[in-house]
Amino acid sequence: MKEFMDFVTIDVWTMIFTWGNLLILFLLVKKFLFKPVNQMLEQRAKQIEEDSQGAAKARTEAEAMREEYERQLSEARETAGEIIQSANHKATLRSEEILNEAQTKAGEMLKKADAQIAKERQKAMNEMKDDISDLALTAARQILGREINSADHERLIEEFIENAGEASWQNQ
Amino acid sequence: MNVEVNGPRIMFRIPILDGIPVTETVVNMWIIMAAIVLACIWLTHGLKVKPTSKKQIVVETLVGMAVGFVESTMGKKFRHWTPYITALFSLSIISSLSSLVGMRPPTADLSVTLAWALLTFVLIQGMKFKTNGFLGYFKSFTEPVVFITPINIVGEIATPISMSFRHFGNIGAGMVITSLVYGALGALSSLVLGAIPNSFIASIPIFQLGLPAFLSIYFDLLTSFLQAYIFCMLTMVYVSNASEE
Repeated sequence: MKEFMDFVTIDVWTMIFTWGNLLILFLLVKKFLFKPVNQMLEQRAKQIEEDSQGAAKARTEAEAMREEYERQLSEARETAGEIIQSANHKATLRSEEILNEAQTKAGEMLKKADAQIAKERQKAMNEMKDDISDLALTAARQILGREINSADHERLIEEFIENAGEASWQNQ
Repeated sequence: MNVEVNGPRIMFRIPILDGIPVTETVVNMWIIMAAIVLACIWLTHGLKVKPTSKKQIVVETLVGMAVGFVESTMGKKFRHWTPYITALFSLSIISSLSSLVGMRPPTADLSVTLAWALLTFVLIQGMKFKTNGFLGYFKSFTEPVVFITPINIVGEIATPISMSFRHFGNIGAGMVITSLVYGALGALSSLVLGAIPNSFIASIPIFQLGLPAFLSIYFDLLTSFLQAYIFCMLTMVYVSNASEE
């Protein structure tokens, strides 16, 4: 047969069961709901902390590397500039040297050529003088039909050349 | 029309002492506890730091709500009270809602709500004791003026009584009203369908379909939530007030 409690009743055993039940449920909820969730949240917080720390570290490293690269780049630029400058300088010096040398050489050669020409002309003039004096002598001899005094006609020829031909000779 | 509203049925007796009665209330509460614990285990299974399932978002939201509820009412230093409040709240609301699946709600038993309320009472007094010390505890009853002491004492004792009767009364009355409505609608059905000479058709309680569902929205859903909320809220408010110097 079914036994019922009264509708409004205070049953001590039910109360004791209720307290026990609430205590058990409290412990179980703590163990099975809050513990795992809180653990997960702590882990998440830890991971986020680690991640952000890692990111900050990576950023600092990247910054340092960037500075290093920039420094190296500017150094390289400087070196390149120096190299170019020194090369330019050297090239200038060298070209000047070459020019000077060439000028000196050319001057020398000109001088030599001048000297040679002068010498040649002197020689040619002397030869011509001789030829002309011979020719004049022969002509005069034929015209006069006689041998004139050698010393006399030498002097005559000299005079002739000097008076008649010098300017026009040399200027031609 | 014959409507019978009983107290909780005694399911069996544990054969020690004079036989400890185990009522429907207690058995139902065990079932509800098992359901809550299984739900917790299922919800927290496979939690990941980077949530991949909707389930995890649900459980995180629920836990966040519980913590927020306790912290906003009691303050941050009472954060560790969250599991107790959660256990109390879930047990209360699921107990009350269990009437929806035809169980007798454990919260429709005064013994249960009184036990909870007495626990709250003990927690309040314990917290006052802890905060004010032995002498300070007794002195706190004489404040603000000495002659008000009896009123203070009555006020303290009234707390668990009002809390337990409020909770029990709401759920118990909801159960009674639901029974009465079902009885009345059954009587109406048999009156209307009684004209049909077929005894099977005449026995169908046709009017019981539909209307009770709407009443249930108020008497079961709203009341269940409200009473669980009020009970937990009062517990938190009283305890945190007691912790103030």
